[in-house]
Amino acid sequence: MADLDFQRQALAHLDALYNFAMYLTKRPPDADDLVQETYLRAFRFSHRFQPGTHLRAWLFQILRNTFLTFYRVREREAPVAEDGVPEWDVPMFHHAPDDDGTTMEVHTDLERAMRRLPEEFRTVLLLAEVEGLPLEEVARVMACPVGTVKSRIFRAKERLRGLLSDYEKR
Amino acid sequence: MSERFDDSSDEVLGRRLAGELHRYAAPARLRVTIVEAASPAPRRPAWLAPLLTAAATAMLLALVVLPVLPRIVPSDPAQRYVRAVVSEHARTLMWGARHGEILPSALPWLTQESGISLPQVFVGDDRLTFVTAEPVYLERSRGVAIHYRDVDGHILTYIALPAPGLTVPDPERVQIGRWRPALVRDNGFAAWVWKQGDVGCFLVSDMVSVDDVERFKEYFTRVRSTTEPVPAY
Repeated sequence: MADLDFQRQALAHLDALYNFAMYLTKRPPDADDLVQETYLRAFRFSHRFQPGTHLRAWLFQILRNTFLTFYRVREREAPVAEDGVPEWDVPMFHHAPDDDGTTMEVHTDLERAMRRLPEEFRTVLLLAEVEGLPLEEVARVMACPVGTVKSRIFRAKERLRGLLSDYEKR
Repeated sequence: MSERFDDSSDEVLGRRLAGELHRYAAPARLRVTIVEAASPAPRRPAWLAPLLTAAATAMLLALVVLPVLPRIVPSDPAQRYVRAVVSEHARTLMWGARHGEILPSALPWLTQESGISLPQVFVGDDRLTFVTAEPVYLERSRGVAIHYRDVDGHILTYIALPAPGLTVPDPERVQIGRWRPALVRDNGFAAWVWKQGDVGCFLVSDMVSVDDVERFKEYFTRVRSTTEPVPAY
C-alpha cells in the first residue's frame, strides 16, 4: 500500500477525479464507487507510478480504465469506427437512466449536451479542455495516438456545437 | 456569459467548457472513506503468528507421539496389579459389566473365556449379592472378575488371574482369621491382595474408612473361604 506522502499527493486531485467520474457515470453513487476504486487501485499499485511523471494524468487513466472495466456495458456499445469513436446516441450504461432521481442534476445546456456525447468525446473534452491536460497526457490516458486525440476533440466540439444549436432553437 | 453558437470557434467552445461547465466537488465523506479504506487493518503483534504456529505444532506432535510414549507404571508388581484391578473396578462402576451372565450356569463359558476355573465360588449371601461375572484381560493375562453388591450399595469386584510374578507385599499384610492378605490402597480404592497358588486374587472396593475396613474384612472372609480359583489350562 502507498505511503502517506503518496496518498496525500493523490488525494489532492480528488475533486478533479470526482468531477470526471460524475460526467462518466452520470450518477453520484456510481461516481463515489468509481473514485474510491480508483484510489484503492492507485494506492495498491503506487510502486508502478514513475515519480516525475504526471500523477494527475495517471490517476485519470486508472479511473477511466476502471470505468471501462466495471461500469461500461461493452455489448451495448456501438461499433467503433476507425478513429475510435462509436456511433451517436448509443446508450452506455445499464443503470444510467437520464431522468430518475439518482442521476446528476443538469445545470446548463452545455452540461446537458456534454452528457449526450459518447464517452470518448466526453472524456477527451473533459481532459483536454476542462482539466487542461496536455494532448500527450490525454493520449496516454485514452491509450491512443495524439493525432487521434486531436481528431476526437475536433469531432467532439463539432457534435457539441450541433447539440447546443438544437437546444438554442427550442 | 455565453457566446452565440453559430459564430463560436473551437477556441471559444473550449473556453466555455473550461469556464462554464459545472464542476462537481467530491463530497467530504468520500475523502474520509478513501483514507479509511486505504489504511491497513490493525496488525497483530509480530510474535503472535509464530507463537500460535509453534503451539499448534507442539500440540499436534503431542497428539501423535502420546500413544507411543512409555507409560509411567509402578515398578512394584503388586502395585501394578492393584492399579490394573482398581481400573477395572472403576470401569465397572462407571459403565457396568460387559456381560450379564449369572453363575453358576455361566461357569463353563467363563472358564473357557478367562482361563480360570472356579471349582468353588462365592455366589452371594444375605450381605453380598452377586451381580455378574465376566472375563477380563489385565497385565497381559486373562482372568475372571466377579462383581458383588453389599446391602449398602457398595460394589465389590473380585478378580483372579494368573500372576506368578506377584508377591504379596508384607508390610501391608493384615491377619484375618487364618489368612494374611495385604490391604493396598490406590486411587481412592482399597484392595485385598492375596495369592492362591500362582493365581493372584484381588477384592476391590471403595470401602477405605476405618469402619469400612472392618466390614471389608468380613467380605474378604466370605469370598476367600468359598472361592477356589485355579488355572484351567
